[in-house]
Amino acid sequence: MRDATLSGPGDSLPGSKSSLLPRLEWRIAALKNGFQDATAYRLEFFLEVFGAAFVPAAIQWVLWYALFVMGHQETIGGLTYHQMLAYTFTSILFTQIRGGDHDFELVEMIRSGGLSNYLLRPTGVVEFVWIRGLAPKLFISAVCLGIGVAVSFFYPELSAARMVAAMGLALLGNIIAYQIGATIATLAFYWEEAYSMLMVKNMIVQILCGELLPLSLFPASMTWMWKSTPFYLYVYGPTQYALGRWTTGEFMDAVGIACLWMLGLWGLVHLSWKLSIKRYLSLGG
Amino acid sequence: MTKTNASAPIISVNKVRRVFRSTQKGEGMKETLGLLLKPKTTEHVALKEVSFTIEPGSFVGLIGANGAGKTTLLKILSGLIPPSSGEATVLGYKPFDRTMPFRHAISLVMGQKAQLWWDLPATDAFDLLKAIYEIPEAKYRERLNTLAELLDVKRLLQTQIRRLSLGERMKMELIGALLHWPKVVFLDEPTIGLDVLAAEKLRDFLKVFNQKEKATIILTSHNMDDIERLCSRVMILKTGEMIFDGSPSKLLREGECRLRVRLKETLTSDAVADIAGVKKEDVTVGESDAGGEEDEGGEGAIPTFYVETNKDAVIRVLQAIMAKATILDMGIEEQSLESVISRIYSEGGVSGGAGLHA
Amino acid sequence: MATLTKYSRLFATQVKNNFVREAVYRSNFVTMLFTDLVWIAVEFALFTVIYANTDTLAGWTKEQVFFFLGIFFASDAINATFFQRNFWQFSDLVNKGELDILLTKPVSPAFLALTRWMSLTSILNFFFGIAIAIKYADASGFAGGLRWALVPVWLAIGVAASVLLRFAFAVWVFWTDRSWAITRLYFQFFGLATKPDAIFPAAIRYTIMTFLPFAFIGSVPTRALLWGLSPLETAGVVLVLIAFYVFDVVFWRLGLRRYQSASS
Repeated sequence: MRDATLSGPGDSLPGSKSSLLPRLEWRIAALKNGFQDATAYRLEFFLEVFGAAFVPAAIQWVLWYALFVMGHQETIGGLTYHQMLAYTFTSILFTQIRGGDHDFELVEMIRSGGLSNYLLRPTGVVEFVWIRGLAPKLFISAVCLGIGVAVSFFYPELSAARMVAAMGLALLGNIIAYQIGATIATLAFYWEEAYSMLMVKNMIVQILCGELLPLSLFPASMTWMWKSTPFYLYVYGPTQYALGRWTTGEFMDAVGIACLWMLGLWGLVHLSWKLSIKRYLSLGG
Repeated sequence: MTKTNASAPIISVNKVRRVFRSTQKGEGMKETLGLLLKPKTTEHVALKEVSFTIEPGSFVGLIGANGAGKTTLLKILSGLIPPSSGEATVLGYKPFDRTMPFRHAISLVMGQKAQLWWDLPATDAFDLLKAIYEIPEAKYRERLNTLAELLDVKRLLQTQIRRLSLGERMKMELIGALLHWPKVVFLDEPTIGLDVLAAEKLRDFLKVFNQKEKATIILTSHNMDDIERLCSRVMILKTGEMIFDGSPSKLLREGECRLRVRLKETLTSDAVADIAGVKKEDVTVGESDAGGEEDEGGEGAIPTFYVETNKDAVIRVLQAIMAKATILDMGIEEQSLESVISRIYSEGGVSGGAGLHA
Repeated sequence: MATLTKYSRLFATQVKNNFVREAVYRSNFVTMLFTDLVWIAVEFALFTVIYANTDTLAGWTKEQVFFFLGIFFASDAINATFFQRNFWQFSDLVNKGELDILLTKPVSPAFLALTRWMSLTSILNFFFGIAIAIKYADASGFAGGLRWALVPVWLAIGVAASVLLRFAFAVWVFWTDRSWAITRLYFQFFGLATKPDAIFPAAIRYTIMTFLPFAFIGSVPTRALLWGLSPLETAGVVLVLIAFYVFDVVFWRLGLRRYQSASS
């Protein structure tokens, strides 16, 4: 599924489908390469993970602190202080898997002309970049899963089995996030840059994925905002399921919706790259 | 404005030495932390006690291979870095103090680093320099006019720099560097990447500027044409040491020349040396630094011999060869500066030694 | 005085040149504007959601927080317009040796390094911010009248704080080859500046008003405008800014020294 979803231009070269093994080989190599690249500077890697995980959580926590403790409120949006904190800390485990900077990498390749080198390779550029960026995320998700499962022994609200399934959904979310990024990145073929559009997307994702607050707090008049995007599948969905606030039925619905998004976006990635790559080649790269 | 009088040297460098320390860092967290506690450093001597003086109005060429210390010397003279020991003065100032009058009186152009903004037309970029150097409007107009005319770029002043060719861009960089009429100009590889014609134009301009404005110009270049056409004095650096300092003509040994012959007979170079009555090492086969077109075009089977000799002996050598062999083609070549320099470089110094230091 | 004239002329030339540069890329202008609008919208959405569930947040009403957002955006916009972009170029300045050229000029290299790049279109954000502040001024309890005269003063303090802080994070480029980790850290912390400081627990509040004075960008100016600061607090603000200025100058000089001993 992932295979088909993220193949990019150059993927359908003759010969590349002849045997399964070499096709798997470059993917493993790309994964390894991506992991090495991300961790070459270990200090920076940890700083980044730490910063990305704890700063949003800290901001959330102080917000709840201000509302519940300093503001003496019992419940907010039907959630107690305790439930709110459970959400915040569980959501950290999933915020690390969402997104990544590989869409920015695509833009940079297009802008700098570095894409040309990749186009000559018998591998899909879009998929190659995704796999490279995925590598550290897989590592982090394994660590987060470990933490989640360990915590579930002491904290019955979090179940180990649900945690595993939720991480699966978060990984689907990672694919969707990249598909959206890869589509936006093609704007770089037409405009001088696509950074700002990726930034805009990231800002919107931040509030609509449930990283800053549980989406259930949205007033009824605003729920359409998050329901109409797939962003809630990145963090809010997995957190809700891991904490047992979603039934398995609701969770399966979410998985189904994720698959629909992936399918539609798969088409969009293909179409946008197919159309825009012509422009790149006609400009001589 | 400057602290020198006319006859004194404008630049003097006394036993200047420069050492670089760099920290070595390995991979990983442990190494990174180790870097904070006990950094491992290596030392590299870029300049080894270099001394010289330069008179006002000179045009000096600084040559040497990559890493010979040219740029380091230029950076010390322009005040970017201090010498590790020794003393340098430029216009009577210690460059590294970077006093305002000093900065007003010098200019540094780096062929590989642009100071002008790519997205602006040249005139707008020059406006900033006008403000930086506080050039009065009338003077600014006059200078810009002169420079743009000399370099033939008047019609391009309103064009975005990024739309200019490399040669035109370099001309603009030069104008920008000269607008404040510096007394000393440091040029680091100004003709790098330029085609023959563009480089030629730039050289003509520099020559005029040096002669008319009496500006002292120090130039580094890999392009021997730059040195040959422009510099009245050349300094050669090799791994931080000055191995030659004198006029370019002194580099060429007095009267030395090279006889090029092609013979009907098939002979070895030793045999040619024999019949010519010269030492065996003075005869070489087939290699020519003057193009060597003769070797091509189907005549490759007939070798070309080069006999190192001098102007007094050349007739005698030629007669000796003609007595024993039939000459198909011949010529006398002057030595090129480039070949001399590469010879000096491979020998590690100028034969004849101190006598050549001016 | 002569120096002041010289530097203001230089600054004016930089503004003019940046305008010429930006005018060439009009599409950029639209995207920048759009990005900033989305950012403002996201912050407003966040607080709208929170206030849908509560009436006050650490004693701040919704209108007061919106007034704060207006002041914050206005202050940040000035920083973004004139300074922000230069910090992104710091790494090139040092690692690609662009500083060489600046050092030979008869002008403070730090001044040139901080005024080379501007993003003049961001100034629109300033007007958005001011418009937002004006809209919520009455409802937030802002006394208005002569107090409006204090707005430029506190905005200037906010801008000074952002520049000094950002500089303190950027200056490390002299010692590290890759500077993005610390840049990223800056932007993570910057998140603290986008909320009123009153919501934070004591320890964080203390930090963002001393060692990492992110609260000075918008939060403290807003409090000063709405309710006034105690003399002690005012003195604290001044002292912290002076301390940061000294820190920046010292590290810039140390950095230059290192640059000069390491470059070849």
